[in-house]
Amino acid sequence: MVNGNPIIEGFIEAIELIITLDPQVVEITIRSLYVSLTATFFAALIALPLGALIYFYEFRGKHAVVSTLQTLYALPTVIVGLVIFLLLSNVGPFGFLRFLYTPGGMIVAQTVLIIPLLMGLTVSALSGIDRDKRYTITALGASRLQTVMTIIAEARFAVMSGVLLGFGRAIAEVGTVMIVGGNIRGATRVLTTAIALNTSMANYSLSIALGIILLAVALGVNIALSLVQRR
Amino acid sequence: MTVIEAHNIRKSYGSLEVLHDVDLSVEEGEILALIGPSGSGKSTLLRLLDLIEPANAGELSVFGVDTVADHGTWLDLRRRMGMLFQRPIVFNSSVYDNVAMGLRYRRAPGDNIDRKVKEALEAVGLSRYIKSRAIDLSGGEQQRVALSRVLVTDPEILFLDEPTANLDPTSTATIEAIVTRLNREADMTVLISTHDLAQGQRLADRVGVMIEGTIAQTGPSREIFREPKNQQIARFVGVQNIIPARVVSRRGDFTVVEAREKEILSATPPPADEVKMVIRGEDISLHRRKPGYEEAENLFPATVTAIEPTAPFVNVTVRCGCDLVALVTARRAEALGLHEGMEVWVSLQAKAVHLIPRKGA
Amino acid sequence: MKTNATHLTAGIVAILLIFALSVGCTETAPGENETPGAGATTAPAGGGDILRIATTTSLENTGLLAELERVYEGETGMDLQFIAQGTGQSIDSGRRGDVDLVLVHAPDLEQQFIDDGFGINPRCIAYNYYIIVGPESDPAGIANMTPVEAFRTIYLAGTNDTQGVAFVSRGDNSGTHTQEQVLWEEAGYDYDGEILNAGGWYVEAGKGMGDTLILANEQQAYTLSDEGTYLSFADRLDLVPVVAEGAELMNRYSAIAVNPEEHPGVNAEGAADFINWLTTNETKQMIGEFGTEEFGKPLFTPLYAPECTEPPFNCTCAEPVTA
Repeated sequence: MVNGNPIIEGFIEAIELIITLDPQVVEITIRSLYVSLTATFFAALIALPLGALIYFYEFRGKHAVVSTLQTLYALPTVIVGLVIFLLLSNVGPFGFLRFLYTPGGMIVAQTVLIIPLLMGLTVSALSGIDRDKRYTITALGASRLQTVMTIIAEARFAVMSGVLLGFGRAIAEVGTVMIVGGNIRGATRVLTTAIALNTSMANYSLSIALGIILLAVALGVNIALSLVQRR
Repeated sequence: MTVIEAHNIRKSYGSLEVLHDVDLSVEEGEILALIGPSGSGKSTLLRLLDLIEPANAGELSVFGVDTVADHGTWLDLRRRMGMLFQRPIVFNSSVYDNVAMGLRYRRAPGDNIDRKVKEALEAVGLSRYIKSRAIDLSGGEQQRVALSRVLVTDPEILFLDEPTANLDPTSTATIEAIVTRLNREADMTVLISTHDLAQGQRLADRVGVMIEGTIAQTGPSREIFREPKNQQIARFVGVQNIIPARVVSRRGDFTVVEAREKEILSATPPPADEVKMVIRGEDISLHRRKPGYEEAENLFPATVTAIEPTAPFVNVTVRCGCDLVALVTARRAEALGLHEGMEVWVSLQAKAVHLIPRKGA
Repeated sequence: MKTNATHLTAGIVAILLIFALSVGCTETAPGENETPGAGATTAPAGGGDILRIATTTSLENTGLLAELERVYEGETGMDLQFIAQGTGQSIDSGRRGDVDLVLVHAPDLEQQFIDDGFGINPRCIAYNYYIIVGPESDPAGIANMTPVEAFRTIYLAGTNDTQGVAFVSRGDNSGTHTQEQVLWEEAGYDYDGEILNAGGWYVEAGKGMGDTLILANEQQAYTLSDEGTYLSFADRLDLVPVVAEGAELMNRYSAIAVNPEEHPGVNAEGAADFINWLTTNETKQMIGEFGTEEFGKPLFTPLYAPECTEPPFNCTCAEPVTA
């Protein structure tokens, strides 16, 4: 890299790293997927029922709750990182879990980060079932519970899109995982933090390789999204 | 037996009042058509009667059960009824699963569901699509899926909310035929809303006209068409001639009214002094010369002032003191050699001249 | 209302699952002491303990840590986890007990850490020098000055708006930043009052050493860097060392364990073992040779007794520690 364009050379080396399945690249990619998929799973487990609850039950301030959720879609990752860091730190209320600087802590942080998004998108997915369909379900003799289950089943692809979007946000964010995970090599280093670190070390080829993978994951999510939305 | 009895039903959405003072009773086994312009509250009324949503006020009993006092009975009552909506609605699953929905809600046994679904799809001619995704079907096919989905639940009362408004003539005919057959064979009570007067006339034993959120008139379709209660109903049922007149005397069984100094006999007893004559265009006959023998009580000469083709008929406007619009077939117009300025004779039975009070019309 | 209960139950189950997972994670790390676990993906095969070390970006960026980790993990099976944070933040992590050991280079902050009772068993490991790097043209003309003179000259040139003079500070409360502040104070300026508000020529990067060097390189500015990081980045930089002589520029790295009496959860035994390993002659030799092959000269000079107990080092570097 002494001579020549570091970007072009970086690209060439990056491609080599990917093709040869460089262990470091593979390990970081797997960890990234593991952390964000797990976080998405738990977030969905919490957010989907809560979102459904908000949609199906009328209560005072429902509108405010929904718009708050929509505001929280753009919840700054570093703020979530900071809050979770303070909660999980050894002197914080959940310090006893010894969760700071572990993938578990990162999963918690990303879960918290995308719960509002998943809840909000669940509410809008269910709202996407139009009035006539709801009338039809009632007219067919569905009980309250059967109505709820039918609407959820009918909105399943829209809900799935929301979950995919949540995963996309989780895997692409750097703020919480950097603060809560600590970017420990071999333990909590994921695609985004590794890119940040390697760029700061002017180690562009590894950054580019990881960047390509991150883009590929994002592209994969988008392809999955469009497949789901076409249904 | 009366299956639906509604009194003083009122329904608002926010500040928008959609229904008021609705009184209606439906007899078991009849077909009742609700006709009325868009936005007159037909769909809302059907939803209230099907217990999909509650009214704001009024009394409603279904199958003899007071539904206002006890909401706990709603699900059971609703499961004895079925409703088909204007827009074809199918769910994102197979045609089979779509049709099975109502039976599954009722926890019917699996083999029973299977048999009924297959029979129902057979009946609407969609057996070959049983495994297809319902949303891939055409609008007409989707509506037939929706109909079979309702019919497999064997409803005692079937509500049809403008069921053929968006459909091609073939699908419309299929659905009308099925509804008529079910009414005759299974004695199913049917409430159909439609803005298609002909459909209402074709299917229904009895017609209710909805105007601006209430039922303005109910009765056999002949009565609605010939003897509308007021001007709005007259307009809606397509009466061409609504002419202000004044009652001058009685002559035998007839009422003599005067419009622009022309006396006309009507078979309607005078409802008021100031009236309007309601005369359907097809009841007015035109002749080239004075008929030698004419049963019609009203016979007078007139001048043709306008000829407007509305295939296969022709609207002919004649002046005879007041303007009258007559509806004649294109063939007859040709036979008469009608042209503007032509002198003709008009004959009109007193029975065809219906009188309504002028005020409040 | 039946559904209400269903959904609530689902939510509660989800939360319980998360807690179950967290407990599961904690328990995957075997051992007597309560070691923070990291789940199946992080525990090395054979299931050794984990030792968390908060350290400085300047050490991380040189690649020395990766080398130490590789050798130590190979020898002992212990899982070393380095969290690169800058010295100030690293010591704070130690104070909170979020890590087991700190590896830092700011003697004043270190002493405070020990005096407050949070740090124990400090051992100095190695040193190198800070250098003032800048553009080859040296627009402020500081070559061959002492570090304090050089800082004073940069200040004057900067406040006079001399063309091309700028200084990039780490600005992140790291060891290097602390050292920079010491130099400004020795040059006669009040850091908070005079330097921070000195004008546009004084740039605070708020980043690690590598990023700061890259930023200074982009802006053709002066900056204070540790020698090790500079050497490991030199091939990507146009900046040259301008002032490299002077006792004030000495940069000493120490390892300090976190006091288990303050934070019973820390891996005190692992910390003691690692400090003892760092102070063996073999390790010091390895540190002393690190970088020779790549940069032509070593990045660090290991400290041996009795040299380390004398000025300017005044630290302990040989006696083994016990947990």
